[in-house]
Amino acid sequence: MSGFADAPDADVIARILAGDGDAFGILIRRHEAGLLRFATRMLGSADAAADAVAEALIRAYRHLASLDDPTRFRTWLYRIVANRCKSHLGRRSAQRVSLEEAAPVPDPHDEEAELERAEQLGLVERALRTLSPEKREAFLLKHVEGLSYEEMAALTGERIPTLKMRVHRAREALLEALKEHR
Amino acid sequence: MSRLDPRIHQVLDGELPPERLAPELRAVVLRLERAAGLLRAGPAPASVADRVLAALHRPETSRARRVLQWLTERHVVTIAMRPVWSLALAAILATVILVPDHGGAPLLGAQEGIARFVGHFPGARSVDVVGPFTDWHTGVVALRDDDNDGVWSAVIVLPAGTHEYMFVVDGERWVADPLAGRYVSDGFGRQNALLIVRPVSR
Repeated sequence: MSGFADAPDADVIARILAGDGDAFGILIRRHEAGLLRFATRMLGSADAAADAVAEALIRAYRHLASLDDPTRFRTWLYRIVANRCKSHLGRRSAQRVSLEEAAPVPDPHDEEAELERAEQLGLVERALRTLSPEKREAFLLKHVEGLSYEEMAALTGERIPTLKMRVHRAREALLEALKEHR
Repeated sequence: MSRLDPRIHQVLDGELPPERLAPELRAVVLRLERAAGLLRAGPAPASVADRVLAALHRPETSRARRVLQWLTERHVVTIAMRPVWSLALAAILATVILVPDHGGAPLLGAQEGIARFVGHFPGARSVDVVGPFTDWHTGVVALRDDDNDGVWSAVIVLPAGTHEYMFVVDGERWVADPLAGRYVSDGFGRQNALLIVRPVSR
């Protein structure tokens, strides 16, 4: 298994579908950091993000056989997580998340530079939360997760020109919000 | 909302080299890239791997068993129906019992927790953990040693509370976990290990 840890997603998936369910752990460890980061930024809460990602991973495992192209597993996972995030956001749309709740808590032992970095991160996170879920998702997928427009199109089901426009508007909205939160 | 110069978007979309931008426009690009960089490098969230794998390894109580359990508990049931409806009810019950359950269970119930079993069995070909949660049968929860270092482990979801368990090595050798710390007599002169599972606090 140790050598298998570096195998491409498609090979690991073939192994899982052949009956080695535990090999799913390889895929979890390979992709969860990005998924958790994306969900945390989408939802503004690490707990809610962990729930969304865990639910998405279980769903992915149970529907693995229905994945047409295993080489696009990562994109497929992001799609499931993005849908879970939308469900979570929909469920709590009535209640506003307080900005303080999700603000990063700096470690008191951190150096001054680290505190400043945490402060700036808090500023960006607050600005990000003012964007609509669609724009937030577009910005995060493009600029934080580094997906191409083609991958984003496969993930969201939207056309590339639509996504480009959404990313452009998201950049503008984020800059505007950053000015306001200064 | 003010629109950005289209060349800023072109640079960020990789369609134009940044050197082609005037310094004030490049500053905007840098600002957006820095914001994305901060979001990318934020504190690493805690892993959900154990939680997911445990949920996937939850020992399943079969639907037939759950129905049997319900039937053997005390209930007050009053049904008055025509014979034709009783046939329909029998068909529905048979479907519920016989059709396999394909998941959909919640990740962790309020009264469930994660149990991790670890044992050092160098040279073993297989290690199972058994207990009341497997009806003391092997082949339900198998431990794994993926890196062949002799350390076998498994993570599963169990109801909160105290559980007796044993390891079964190579399908025949029953071993009480030497690291359990608590043991209870099995009534036949041997000791079962004891595990306390606490509900996952949310």
